Amino acid sequence: MKKKNIDGSILTLWIMIAVVLIAMAILKPGTFYKMTNLRSMIFQFPEYGIMALGMMLAMISGGIDLSLVGIANLSGIVAAKIMIGMGGEPVSIAIGIMAALAVGAVCGCFNGFMIGYLKVPAMLVTLCGLQLYTGIGLGITTGPALTGLPDSYKYFANGSIGQIPVVLFIFIAVVAVIYFIMNFTVYGQQVRFMGSNDEAARYSGINNLKVTIMTYMISGILGSISGVLITSHFNSAKADYGSSYTLLTLLIVVLGGIHPDGGRGNVGGVVLSILLLQLVAQAFNILQIDPTGNMKTFVYGALLIIVLCANVLKGKKKKAKK
Amino acid sequence: MAEVFLKLEGIKKSFGGVRALKGVDLEIRKGEVHCLAGENGCGKSTLIKVISGAHDPDEGNIFIEGKKVENLKPIDSIRMGIQVIYQDFAVFPNLTVAENIAMNRALMTGAKKMDWKEARKLAIEAMEMIGAKMDPDILVERLSVANKQMVAICRAIINDAKFLILDEPTTALTAKEVEKLFKIIRKLKEKGIAIMIVNHKLDEIYEICDKLTVLRNGEYVSNGDITEYDRARFIRDLTGRDIEEIKYSPEEDENEILRVEHLTRVGAFEDVSFTLKKGDVLGITGLLGSGRGELGDALFGLAPAQSGKIILNGKEIQIHSIQDAMNNKIAYVPEDRLTQGLFLERSILDNTMAASIKNYFKKGKLDYKAMEIATDDWIKTIGVATPSAKPAIRTLSGGNQQKVAIAKWLNTSPDLLVLNGPTVGVDIGSKSDIHAILHRLAKGGVGIIVISDDLSELVQNCNKMIVMRNGKVAEVIDNTVDETTLADMLSGKQGG
Amino acid sequence: MKNKSIKDVLTSTEMINVYIIVALSMVIGSINSNFLSVATVITLSRAIMVTMIFALGEMLVIVSGGIDVSFPAVACAALFVPIKLMVDNGINNVWFAFGLAIIIGLVFGALNATLTAVVKLPPLIATLGVSSLINGGMLAFFGSKEISNLPKAVDAISQKFLFTYTAPTGATYSLTVLFLIPVILCIGVALMLKYTMLGRGIYAIGGDQNAARIAGFNVVRIKYFVYMFAGAITGLGAMCYCILCRTANPKNLMGSEMMVIAAIVVGGTRISGGHGKVIGTVLGVVLVGLIQNNLIMAGVPAYWQKFVVGLVIVLGTSITSLKAKKIAQSAKV
Repeated sequence: MKKKNIDGSILTLWIMIAVVLIAMAILKPGTFYKMTNLRSMIFQFPEYGIMALGMMLAMISGGIDLSLVGIANLSGIVAAKIMIGMGGEPVSIAIGIMAALAVGAVCGCFNGFMIGYLKVPAMLVTLCGLQLYTGIGLGITTGPALTGLPDSYKYFANGSIGQIPVVLFIFIAVVAVIYFIMNFTVYGQQVRFMGSNDEAARYSGINNLKVTIMTYMISGILGSISGVLITSHFNSAKADYGSSYTLLTLLIVVLGGIHPDGGRGNVGGVVLSILLLQLVAQAFNILQIDPTGNMKTFVYGALLIIVLCANVLKGKKKKAKK
Repeated sequence: MAEVFLKLEGIKKSFGGVRALKGVDLEIRKGEVHCLAGENGCGKSTLIKVISGAHDPDEGNIFIEGKKVENLKPIDSIRMGIQVIYQDFAVFPNLTVAENIAMNRALMTGAKKMDWKEARKLAIEAMEMIGAKMDPDILVERLSVANKQMVAICRAIINDAKFLILDEPTTALTAKEVEKLFKIIRKLKEKGIAIMIVNHKLDEIYEICDKLTVLRNGEYVSNGDITEYDRARFIRDLTGRDIEEIKYSPEEDENEILRVEHLTRVGAFEDVSFTLKKGDVLGITGLLGSGRGELGDALFGLAPAQSGKIILNGKEIQIHSIQDAMNNKIAYVPEDRLTQGLFLERSILDNTMAASIKNYFKKGKLDYKAMEIATDDWIKTIGVATPSAKPAIRTLSGGNQQKVAIAKWLNTSPDLLVLNGPTVGVDIGSKSDIHAILHRLAKGGVGIIVISDDLSELVQNCNKMIVMRNGKVAEVIDNTVDETTLADMLSGKQGG
Repeated sequence: MKNKSIKDVLTSTEMINVYIIVALSMVIGSINSNFLSVATVITLSRAIMVTMIFALGEMLVIVSGGIDVSFPAVACAALFVPIKLMVDNGINNVWFAFGLAIIIGLVFGALNATLTAVVKLPPLIATLGVSSLINGGMLAFFGSKEISNLPKAVDAISQKFLFTYTAPTGATYSLTVLFLIPVILCIGVALMLKYTMLGRGIYAIGGDQNAARIAGFNVVRIKYFVYMFAGAITGLGAMCYCILCRTANPKNLMGSEMMVIAAIVVGGTRISGGHGKVIGTVLGVVLVGLIQNNLIMAGVPAYWQKFVVGLVIVLGTSITSLKAKKIAQSAKV
């Protein structure tokens, strides 16, 4: 699906990435371009990057998924509970991860059902979902973090093969799968059609309910993969990890050229946008202008608004030309 | 003769180089029902917007009650007694009938407070004036289309309207509702209110209008008493062509494609039976609410029939959902192209593939090359004017859009193609292209059903027609019928 | 059909809320006899008053067809910035505290309105961005350390009570004078919505923005009013919160948007705009507050509360949505 306007936003992303890279080459070439720094960046972004892909799917379908963080934590908690309960055997890790993915799928199906069948607005469903899934997680853990996970579990988020972190492979694999789904499967086209115009999709014989449930299920599974990585990263599971990721993932997808009205956008833009934000965050760290991380929140918010406004203005200009 | 209320002289208006109005004259007198007729894109809506003050004309003069007005703004236009009732009525679904009716008056007087008692009083007064009966306290979202229109009319007349513009007021009304509307219009006319109706259904125009003005491509074509127009002149003025007398007559063929027996859906249609033979283009017509559209919806599984038989190519099939219909190779081009038929922001390729994307999933992935070839083929076969398959469908003309909407279904290689209003809002050239395509398909063995209320389209392009009335098949006729007789059959003035 | 039938009234969202509140109170009361008392009413009133203020503003925004998830961040800024400035510069004036809080609310309300009404961004995403902007900016520029020594004049208000009730056990329960603020606001907003053209305009643009424009409403101006008014009362509510807590915390309120939106929707406001009443919102806030604050009394462990609240919200929103769906499909008259 090649489209000119998307190429435009991808070009902008490349330029912005280049600007950050050049700026850092001038300001802190020694620290920024070191292997340790690159590695530390790679360890960070897959967690929320995978989540952002879920947000992307929901938004392309014409909805939104604000429950991703809740799903991530709940899946992590369920996995942790199973692993701890089974005494940390290697097989328990496999079962734990499978269970986590199942939790993500079930939560996603619930979202999809409420949205597609009961026709409750996606925003409301997933906002409720966030509360519900976090609530279940909180109920299971009774509050404090679950610790005592098997040592080998840490490997997913913290281990490396040679110099390359394992999470990078996981991230690339997930991106490849989602890319394939979005571009080379019937579902991938149907979800775009539904996001463009759900009425016309129905009249074209697309089963909107099925596509909606599918979308939120995949989104939920992506949330749970991210949950596995988060628990592995912290070596513990808790109901309120990663609470800032909701905004971050939204920012990523909007910045990556996904249209909030649905239908438009692609995986490439989102991946670039993930990289860009990680670069910005790391640059902030190295320049030591943001010890508390609050400046980052501020800049993210500002970026989100500026990018959206710029898109709107660009759209207006295009129309005026016609 | 009554006093002139509104006079337009040489109104011109362009949008970014496109000339929408190229010098239009118009004169409307008090107590006169004036019809503004023209095909889609002739500048009717732009003209209405100029009169209501939403657009400033580039050139030309506007006189209201003999006084020249300049720089007309919407609020000035309302204060001078001009009221527009738009096609979607612009009523508030979440507010009560009374509030909807009283809202504009309050806004016009610049009131700061909401006076509920006064609103109720005004609403009842207005309803009495036009003889409408509605509960003033009910929310408008619970009203039928016709009653929503009543609300819009009530709202217009309590603002001391002197000139009422109704934009295609009958499109969404049933026959009974149209009659009721006309009664109200006559009442208003007696009160000396000038009325302009935008319409292009000749029978309705004859029934209600005194004067007629025809626009074509933004130009004023003719104007005069309704009695000066016969059908031939009307169509000539409207389209710029004489009526073509070509009719579609396929060779007789005994092979039956579709047989429908006793099809019933409660509240929509009942006991509908007909057959469609190879080569037939079957027309289904009737007034709104006669069940013509509902029958199409049922064949495509949108609102399935509850009983009866559907036999396609000799096999009885069950249709309970859109998926069932598609599995049985039934295709449906819906009435509303923009919201139901097409994905406006998507490319021609995407739109052409929307219903058949499953067929391109080969060896574990989608075959884009095959899709491109198929789309390019359709662009050629069906005659879509475009340089490639890439542009968004939004950028095409109505006619080309409709061709793509049809190509989308042809790409599923259907056995039965149902088209609901196949040429609504389509220019003359594309219209005859589309008809030619339908004839070609029919001869090739695809069953074609055209659901339409465009009588000349039906008479010229179908060799067999079903007239529906009150959910039942009222007449089954061939194409030797003329349009006037057909029109009478629709309303039940002729035949059984 | 003349006036509203009794059946319509009895099945209205407001009445459903009343039933649930009564039923829930009886259940909790039967489990814990301490529940049904004046003390509970006073505690609950105090617990929900700030939510009530926020909910009023948010309701207006939702009725107008928008949504505002930035109010918790606005609230944090509106309570923390004035207190910080006062403590740092030795200002000891109640009017300054409230005044600045309201001004901060107004400014960010105007920003939200500009983004949604003028630039026409989707309200959820625009206000989410604003939320991040305010929250990050405030913490980065004003610091994140809680201020527990409020200026004396401000702190003194926490000791002003409308009345004090002494329970048979000897414990005393006092209702703060600040409780008057939500009461007055509720009455004021209800009257404004029902009896002014501005109020009706808010419903009108929530029902059909295009129709409102054609009818002659100034849509942009009404949206500015809605977002700025919501911002202003958010500022007011935030300062109340600060005084009730007797400390200025720059992030405690973050994340409260969920509860507030939920209470509004449970109270019958349609998230798609155009429908909603103050009385419904009051009941919704009471219901959610009741669940949130008294589940412990009913024997539900604290850590399951979030889930139970979530469940209630899911049910509440489903009922509202199903009702809307039914109306859309029902036979028209």
